Amino acid sequence: MTFVYLLVFGFAATAVLGLITSWIDRKVTARVQYRVGPPFLQPFIDIVKLLGKETLIPAGASKGTFLIAPVIGISGVIAVATLLWVNQFFSEGFMGDWIVTIYLLAIPSLSIILGGFASRNPLASLGASREMKLVIAYELPFILAALVPVINAHSIRLSVIIDSQAGGVFAGSLSGILALIVAILCVQAKLALVPFDIPEAETEIVGGALIEYSGPGLAIFRLMKNMLFFTLPFFLIILFFGGLRLNGINILWTVLEYVGIVAIITVIRNTNPRVRIDQAVRFFWGPMTLIAIVAVVLALKGL
Amino acid sequence: MSFNLIIDALKNPNGFFASSPLSLLCAAFAAMFFVFAVIYSLKHMKGRTGLWRYYIYLLATFIATLGILFSTTFVLLLVLWGFLGLMLYLLISFGNNEGTPESARKSLVIIGGTDVLLLLGIVLIWRIVSGDTGLSGFLHLKFGNLAIPLTGRGQIIAYLCLASAAFAKAGAMPFHTWLPDTARDAPVPVTAYLPASLDKLLGIYFLARITLDVFVMTPLMNTVLMALGSLTIMAAVMMALVQHDLKRLLGYHAVSQVGYMVLGIGTGNPVGIAGALFHMFNNTIYKSSLFLAGGEVERRTGTSDLSKLGGLVKAMPLVFAAFLIASLSISGIPPFNGFASKWMLYQGIILSAGSGGLWVLWLVAAMLGSALTLASFMKLIHTVFLGQPSEISQKVIEKKEKSGFSTLLPLTVLSLLCIGLGVFAWKIPFADYFSPEVKGQVDFPGIWQSGLATMMLISGLVIGFLIYLVGTLKKARIVEPFVGGETLEKNPDMRVSGVDFYKTIMELGLLKGIYRWAEKKFFDLYVVAGKFVAGFGIIFSFMHNGILSRYFLWFIAGLVVLCIVLI
Repeated sequence: MTFVYLLVFGFAATAVLGLITSWIDRKVTARVQYRVGPPFLQPFIDIVKLLGKETLIPAGASKGTFLIAPVIGISGVIAVATLLWVNQFFSEGFMGDWIVTIYLLAIPSLSIILGGFASRNPLASLGASREMKLVIAYELPFILAALVPVINAHSIRLSVIIDSQAGGVFAGSLSGILALIVAILCVQAKLALVPFDIPEAETEIVGGALIEYSGPGLAIFRLMKNMLFFTLPFFLIILFFGGLRLNGINILWTVLEYVGIVAIITVIRNTNPRVRIDQAVRFFWGPMTLIAIVAVVLALKGL
Repeated sequence: MSFNLIIDALKNPNGFFASSPLSLLCAAFAAMFFVFAVIYSLKHMKGRTGLWRYYIYLLATFIATLGILFSTTFVLLLVLWGFLGLMLYLLISFGNNEGTPESARKSLVIIGGTDVLLLLGIVLIWRIVSGDTGLSGFLHLKFGNLAIPLTGRGQIIAYLCLASAAFAKAGAMPFHTWLPDTARDAPVPVTAYLPASLDKLLGIYFLARITLDVFVMTPLMNTVLMALGSLTIMAAVMMALVQHDLKRLLGYHAVSQVGYMVLGIGTGNPVGIAGALFHMFNNTIYKSSLFLAGGEVERRTGTSDLSKLGGLVKAMPLVFAAFLIASLSISGIPPFNGFASKWMLYQGIILSAGSGGLWVLWLVAAMLGSALTLASFMKLIHTVFLGQPSEISQKVIEKKEKSGFSTLLPLTVLSLLCIGLGVFAWKIPFADYFSPEVKGQVDFPGIWQSGLATMMLISGLVIGFLIYLVGTLKKARIVEPFVGGETLEKNPDMRVSGVDFYKTIMELGLLKGIYRWAEKKFFDLYVVAGKFVAGFGIIFSFMHNGILSRYFLWFIAGLVVLCIVLI
């Protein structure tokens, strides 16, 4: 039964929803720039096309690490997605809690870093090191913001966090809305989207950590990123909006919440220039952390 | 007569030795690390002089450790504790770095100094518990089951004295400064054997015992412990981020990890304490694995300077695999063992929430600490094993030497333990061994089904591989890396070493000043105390300058003071 969850929810549903999200993102971006934008199936076609392209391995690189890195990344995303889906629908708890989710979410970044390091390319090294710095930058406000629902629900079990929002979502309180703002910006960085696409920065380090990847390796990384694009907003919905509610009128709300988060992320990415890595660290350790601390203090006071 | 006395002591009539489940487990780990230290040293220490003494010291250390773990009286423990400090000093001296003598002296001073505090603490406990019972009462003062409440000033001082001995042994702040220096200058097997494993076992075992059996903790003292633990985690890991030397960097992590254990013991609830003890065992496993792998790198390349390394995965793939597994464990990536114990610790912190909102601070310090640990190990993995090879690495790769049995055996066993203890987490042996020690039922508020999660991750890997197989993996082609059309070999300047990956962070606002102070060793108790003592020296040398008139002046002044006091 567990493997049915894994295949159906963790992999298939997450991948499909992730690809759709990526299409929404690209379509909105295109409309902002007065373009028509890609057809609905384009993200899926991209992946299939990449699978048919040649696999290139940089000479003198660590072949094993280079090839296994994308696989580690996608397995991390699948594990998180399965965990979130099953905890969403079964209240007895499954596999892990809040702490486990936060730690599993580090695996995709880890895989990009390992892959970049293993490429034997100076530009990939630079990109991966930026990714690492970005991780330590956003991790501080992200932990604080994600703590707010834990404080409100008095539990680290995701199912309890979902259940305790039956009467009113955490995003409705002052602490919740502050934490949500911080968390969305952290997700922006977790997805490495503009203005925090510093690790990839096509115009300066030519794709950074992914520079040497081609064919299936790149396809897996693309799929992993698309799946993350669904999983991270899903995690935020669980934390701040009481999870996906699939009954009656609430379906509409859930879809609105999800599309709303994705739309905010997309709009931010289309209206901002890329920042430097030191500016990003300053931004996350400075104002973002301050807002998150305010949110935590308010939550402790019960606001 | 004296022979009979020894026989009696061995038969354990007066109860000098006794075992508890926890101490047995510690002893089993100590035995494992002793065996590994000896096996590893066979190759690593080859060709140095006086090796017979080296092995005798290793053995003596092991026996003294067993003595401490099983001793039931304070005095026996104190004597063996001091003996261990001496052994550490002697073992460090086998290193052949420039700074070795100074580092050995530093560790002797710090550990020996806290031994004095330990003695003071024991004397205080003796006065508190049994009043004036003469020397024999002192000699038979029992270690354990005293339940002294931390109410009076004497009790608190006694606890702090004992705790500082434990801190110095384990390497927690503020007595940590000997550890990074020792890690840099001592032979690697010694570092892996003592500061990385046995000293951790002893220090945290002792801290746990005094916290649970000897004293009854107050919320205030728990908060002090948790604050010290969090400070240790953060400060040490921030220092580790910017180190330039492989072994010294690992040494800072040895400090940082102690913070988690102190923090866990400070939570004062069974979950947190069990987490701390579990973390102690996990830490000894991955930390010695890291040191031993680092030692192999140093032996093959002849340097531990990070800027001269890189790309070594081609020369030692298995060592890299062990290093990677241990790095992921220490950074708390699921499903490795470091995560299992950190997960327990965090719940302990959350359960301690009764004391205001401070728990958020401890939790965030611990969780951010583990992200920073990951960062600093990613830097190591890049600068040592991956990335672009340096000149030295090229030579090592071309030599095609194999890592021997004496290196790979310990690394394999330790890596398997990292995975095994992570996957089976808490369930297999540890639950039974800890529950009598932590005084209470260990009930987790959270969920971590480690076996299930491992299955998930493995199936995820399978899905990933299937995608590869659908693709064109079989026709993979090897091409030169693309660096804007340049060739890497012809432009050695393009090599990114990775030593300065985190320089941007070092130069951020407030951190810049703190790092500068740390470089000037403002936070090093040894150096600060040294300056303090030197200050006294200046006063004394001013007073004793050998000129009769000044001595006469002191004489008059003393007489005046005496007159005033007496009249």
